[in-house]
Amino acid sequence: MKKPVSLTQEYIKGLWEINPIFKQILGMCPTLAVTVSAINGLAMGLATTFVLVFSSVIISSIRKIVPSQVRIATYILIISTFVTIVDLVMKAKFPELSKALGPFIPLIVVNCIILGRAEAFASRNNVLRSFLDALGNGSGFLIALLVLGSIREMLGTRTIFGVQVLPNQFTPWMVMILPAGAFITLGLLLGFANAFTKWQEQKNKKSVLVR
Amino acid sequence: MDLVIIFIGAALINNFVLSYFLGICPFIGVSSKITSAVSMGIAVIFVMTITAVVSWSVNNLILIPFGLDYLTIPSFILIIASLVQFVEMVIKKVSTAIYRALGIFLPLITTNCAILGLALFASMREYSLIQSVVFALGAGSGFMLALIIMAGIREELELANVPEPFKGVPITLIVAGLLALSFMGFAGII
Amino acid sequence: MKKTIHIISVLTLTATISALTLASVNNWAKPLIEENAIKAISEAIFQVQPSAKSYEKIPLDELKAFEVFDENKNSIGYAVVHQGNGFQGTIKLIFGIDKNLERITSIEILEQVETPGLGSLITEENYKNQFRSLSVNPVINLIKGKSKTADNQVKAITGATISSRAVVNIVNDAIRILRKYSKEEK
Repeated sequence: MKKPVSLTQEYIKGLWEINPIFKQILGMCPTLAVTVSAINGLAMGLATTFVLVFSSVIISSIRKIVPSQVRIATYILIISTFVTIVDLVMKAKFPELSKALGPFIPLIVVNCIILGRAEAFASRNNVLRSFLDALGNGSGFLIALLVLGSIREMLGTRTIFGVQVLPNQFTPWMVMILPAGAFITLGLLLGFANAFTKWQEQKNKKSVLVR
Repeated sequence: MDLVIIFIGAALINNFVLSYFLGICPFIGVSSKITSAVSMGIAVIFVMTITAVVSWSVNNLILIPFGLDYLTIPSFILIIASLVQFVEMVIKKVSTAIYRALGIFLPLITTNCAILGLALFASMREYSLIQSVVFALGAGSGFMLALIIMAGIREELELANVPEPFKGVPITLIVAGLLALSFMGFAGII
Repeated sequence: MKKTIHIISVLTLTATISALTLASVNNWAKPLIEENAIKAISEAIFQVQPSAKSYEKIPLDELKAFEVFDENKNSIGYAVVHQGNGFQGTIKLIFGIDKNLERITSIEILEQVETPGLGSLITEENYKNQFRSLSVNPVINLIKGKSKTADNQVKAITGATISSRAVVNIVNDAIRILRKYSKEEK
């Protein structure tokens, strides 16, 4: 049994330490598919966080009455309910965004992050901790999508959130808004994330030695 | 003619993995050896085709006639989860050899977004039953093709001198990006 | 036995609550979603037929077409939504045409998945403006590299001939269906 971590740590860890994209490498499909622009990334991140937080809270609060044999089926039902709610609300209130994200809103159901957090965390911890964990992981996911979306939008169309940031002399790299650009950008980002983690570990080791 | 377009479209032009990003998890997880890529590909084609038939029936015979289309997502995901279990049981009974080859890949398929994506796309585009089946076969073949090509490249990549932080997933994604670029060459054929 | 009942009751309860929640959300969302769809289509119609004040759907199976009227309820032409295969997938567009089916008023691309930077240029004004008061007699022709010699010609986008041709084909096909319909009417 690990010693219980502080409540703030429960949230913070999702941002970088166990960031769903950079560290756990989960939920690749929506990450790659919707990040042609920063706004799409933001919308997808918010939608996923919403589903993640609500399903984690519900799953955590009923964790003691759900028999383990049907646990996955129950989780999937709960998750798909929240996904449908998001889908309907987006269609009703933000039709433009809903059209841009297309089938990737329904596909949040199979985003491994949500089932992963449900199984690994919410089914074993109390409601408050599950809430913070889900919020942290959701925020981590959101940040990753926002970074990826901004980079691709900036290099592909010279803008971020529709605001021009690169001068007209810069020829847009069309490849960035193509599927290929998604794979390559995420590959590079993951590589840099790995390198950064390594560097961090080495620095920590050194500081321990100095002490 | 229409069916040919659907098949080629799903297999090559709008390849599920390389242009819709569906099924990335198994694409990265299972694509390190050609033999397992083939097995996974066959399992996916198989499950996709059955899913296409069942989800089409449920959608057009139950959900739409009763105005329950808001239950599409929960019903599709439950159909897929139970189908995979069912297929697993049947294969186990029928042939141990096939079970040994495909068995471990079947549970992975439940959370494979390619399967749910297929059911959702088919219902969104209002395909007929036959069109859905052809779409499933095309998408499945495209998935298998991408998986096999990727596995072939990764077997060679083992020998390459990749910078330490880029080993594993990052370099696989970059290779997938180059593969996606080359698949763009198929675009004009419909 | 007790275990089985437990399992079944938990699953049934979850499914029931889930279905009830979704039903009520759907009740709220459905009218809004339908309203959005109607709003989107009417905006598109008034965009391609700027002088129109109202419209009415034409009962046609193979084509989604609307007859449009000016403020005195006089018919001034049609707005047609049609789709076809482009370079990478379906292109869906709407265009307006005059009462006699001779000249296009204007065109808008509703949905497309063409290559960004090449085929996607069909959504740019440079290409779309060519359709303004374009003659469709006998059909629209696509020309490559040459300059226009007749008023029923559209110049292809360099490097995106297939996408350019697809748009022209979709419009021609829609006009063919519309002509058949208007003959039957008379």
